Amino acid sequence: MLKCKINGVEVEVKEGTTIIEAFKIAGQKIAHYCWHPGLSVAGVCRLCMVEIKGQPRLQIACNTPVQDGMEITNQSEQVKETVRWGLDFHLINHPLDCPICDQAGECGLQDQYMEFGLYTPEMAEPKVKKHKVVDLGSKIVLDTERCILCSRCVRFTAEVTKTYELGIFNRGDRSEIGTFENKPLENNYALNTVDICPVGALTSKDFRFRQRVWYLQERESICTGCSTGCNIKIYFNEEGLFRIRPVYNEKVNGYWMCDEGRNIYKFVNKENRLLKAKKGRKGEWLEMEGGAAAKDVAHHFKSLDKERIALVVTGQFSNEEYEALFQFYKKNVGNDFVYHWINNKESFEDFDGLLLRGDRNPNTKGLLQKLEDYRYEQTWAHLEENLKAGKIETLIVAGPENPLWFPDLKEKVQQWGIQLSHLIWLSSAKVQAVDEVECLTWQIPLKTFFEKDGTYVNYQGLEQKSHRIATIVPGALSLSEAAHLMAGEEYKVDMAPILKGPKKNYYVHRRGYL
Amino acid sequence: MEVKVLTKHYDKPEYRSLEGYKKYGGYEVLKKALGMKPEEIVAQVKEAGLRGRGGAGFPTGVKWGFLPNNGEPRYLVCNADEGEPGTFKDRMMMEKAPHQLIEGMLISAYAIQSKKSYIYIRGEYMEPYRIVEKAIQEAYDAGFLGKNILGSGFDHDMDVYRGAGAYICGEETALLSSLEGKKGQPKLKPPFPAVEGYLRKPTIVNNVETLAAVVTIVKDGPKEYRKYGTEKSPGTKIFSVSGNVLKPGNYEVPLGYPLKDLIYNLCGGLKPGRQLKAVIPGGSSAPVLTAEEAERATLDYECLAEMKSMLGSGAVIVIDDSNCMVDLLKVIMHFYHHESCGQCTPCREGTGWLDKIVGSIYKGEGRLQDIQLVEQVSKHMMGRTICALSDAAAMPAISFVQKFRSEFEFYVREGRSKVKEVIANA
Repeated sequence: MLKCKINGVEVEVKEGTTIIEAFKIAGQKIAHYCWHPGLSVAGVCRLCMVEIKGQPRLQIACNTPVQDGMEITNQSEQVKETVRWGLDFHLINHPLDCPICDQAGECGLQDQYMEFGLYTPEMAEPKVKKHKVVDLGSKIVLDTERCILCSRCVRFTAEVTKTYELGIFNRGDRSEIGTFENKPLENNYALNTVDICPVGALTSKDFRFRQRVWYLQERESICTGCSTGCNIKIYFNEEGLFRIRPVYNEKVNGYWMCDEGRNIYKFVNKENRLLKAKKGRKGEWLEMEGGAAAKDVAHHFKSLDKERIALVVTGQFSNEEYEALFQFYKKNVGNDFVYHWINNKESFEDFDGLLLRGDRNPNTKGLLQKLEDYRYEQTWAHLEENLKAGKIETLIVAGPENPLWFPDLKEKVQQWGIQLSHLIWLSSAKVQAVDEVECLTWQIPLKTFFEKDGTYVNYQGLEQKSHRIATIVPGALSLSEAAHLMAGEEYKVDMAPILKGPKKNYYVHRRGYL
Repeated sequence: MEVKVLTKHYDKPEYRSLEGYKKYGGYEVLKKALGMKPEEIVAQVKEAGLRGRGGAGFPTGVKWGFLPNNGEPRYLVCNADEGEPGTFKDRMMMEKAPHQLIEGMLISAYAIQSKKSYIYIRGEYMEPYRIVEKAIQEAYDAGFLGKNILGSGFDHDMDVYRGAGAYICGEETALLSSLEGKKGQPKLKPPFPAVEGYLRKPTIVNNVETLAAVVTIVKDGPKEYRKYGTEKSPGTKIFSVSGNVLKPGNYEVPLGYPLKDLIYNLCGGLKPGRQLKAVIPGGSSAPVLTAEEAERATLDYECLAEMKSMLGSGAVIVIDDSNCMVDLLKVIMHFYHHESCGQCTPCREGTGWLDKIVGSIYKGEGRLQDIQLVEQVSKHMMGRTICALSDAAAMPAISFVQKFRSEFEFYVREGRSKVKEVIANA
């Protein structure tokens, strides 16, 4: 361990730690753009200049390793002035179009100017004109005038995805980020470049212009997109969810997440949700509250032949929910006709080498463990046989949270609609096929991961807890709540808070009345 | 007087070919060197105090001493990307005596135990490229290159690599990036090339003139070499003189030679009726000297450093009183703006900014505060970047503005050049 003093604060760091890392450890502020802990050192923004006692020249903190006994400061007048000028160099050709820039509010230039700059600019010359609204592919738009050429995105495609789509073209202040002809930035991790872009140069087509970031709240959660279970931050407000970004977790996802995972917010939002419980069949649906529907199932359950009931579960739910569901099944049905619905069977074992796994369920491992605990060992073929033979009349399905990853969804539902007399459909998603079944069906809306607490076990066997954040669909149940209600128990359904809108455009309205 | 050590036989056209080169003792030193221990040669170069002739003036022997003993293959790279405005000595050396360079490289390669070397030649140098290529072929045919050179058991291969016209590729790490096939941009140091250079292997990059000088050091011994020059700047150096002198060209003189003598004796002085106004002593990136300073200056590393300028690559640009300093600075600033690689922010933005400010003054749109701004911007570009290009742009800017401030102020106030008026009235 090495001892050093950062702005007078003594810290101990490991051998090989760079000064900038020591600053972070010491909790001291330091200006920087090009340095990113997940990427190699570029040393080009020249903002992390520090003064080391005994060295006449200022050094960049990102490429200088700490030595024992070093006394480092970025509080001296020399460093402060250097950083102010460094920021000015970054900004002289920047268009300063913050009012129409999507990065405003979370922009490195804004933040660091307020923190380290606050100078009066002297630039009186015309700015360099570069390309605006450059289409880099289906996901990202580039504004090269806003770009400060920190090269984070270039290093990301070179070092993390190793796809090398991006490069810096031209020289000097004509330098521009760009892609090669006919080689758009389409890899499945491309949106990470938007996250690491410190300015508004790279913006996500999915998110840009949809919300000002200061109208969004952010909370951490777990991605339910696949069995990796990346740690994420969800950005949302009373209008719904808007985007997802990765949160650093050394054990799971490092600094990154895949673009498919970023899309999971879409099936949490109202437009893709089953909003009300329904009972009936094609053309004759009776809408009701989720709790009422579950109770109705309980009421109806007594008249069903228990030997002709089966349960289908997917890997989309939490451990707690499986436990409650299996308890319910054991007590109220008692047979062992429990089947694991494996979506996209062919690609189930796939892995893209970085994060995304073919198993598009957050908790397959947890489900398999619970199935083993309850000794439910039936195969899918067994279900199909029994269905064909007419031995099963009622099917309880704990269906998908995100129907996109169930390619056989429509086909299966249609088939069940013909083969069964009763279907109890538990899912958070709006599924057209279920609305068209001919058998008597209860559709009970479930909560998504955003609305409930739960434990998920990822592919490594790592248990991660996800906490409820807010309610999107009032009246939706968690699978546990549904199980308790279907068992006929008295059960109080608890709900995450419903978001109320902030006083949006408050000042605009005020001015209108003046 | 000129002292011709390196350029002794340059006046003979046959010196360019292997036959001619051998006639004047060519490759005899290589034979001698191959009989010595590599460490001996390194020690001799150290003792001779040879300093890099490319611009920075770093002691060559010391640089060689930085190579780690880790058993990794080592590379020798000859920096023939002579890009510094005003410099044209390497071009002459390659055109007149390509074998001298090859012999120097072979001795140096043997000294540092490298089996492969490259000559990175400036893209615009088509003629020198052809000549060097041909010379290498001749050397291969004669057994001076390839396996088991002169029966010594030392193997060496040499290749020529052409640059594509970027000034920055004269900076050694940018040169190595370019040689590796990447965009020519300087790399972060440390690691220095001697530790991790070409293909991340230990690499020594030396200038053409430096490598050629190794031949004379090994030939005559360090003592003889130190006969010329000063204590801290031993040996002779070729100076490329350009600008307002009657006889511009390359002149080999001992280091420590008075600048005044170079201009007035060797180069025949200025045009009749003209006064000396300024001298840029070491290529466009060296801070300019006023006429008064130029009278006192001697051409060695110490004296020029004391005058806060530098010897650089030895490109002496002589400026007489018919030139407008605003005009000159504008040209220099345009050059650095064009050549900045764009990696580090202060240089990328600063060179462009300086170019625009000086351009505005030149167009007659300058403000008085612009003169101070040039100084401030330059000050904050110095010592802030990966390589020295930023400093190279800032140093002339500061020195021009500080030493010829009245001329800049006149230009800003009147919107026109003071000099042109003087000339018109004369």
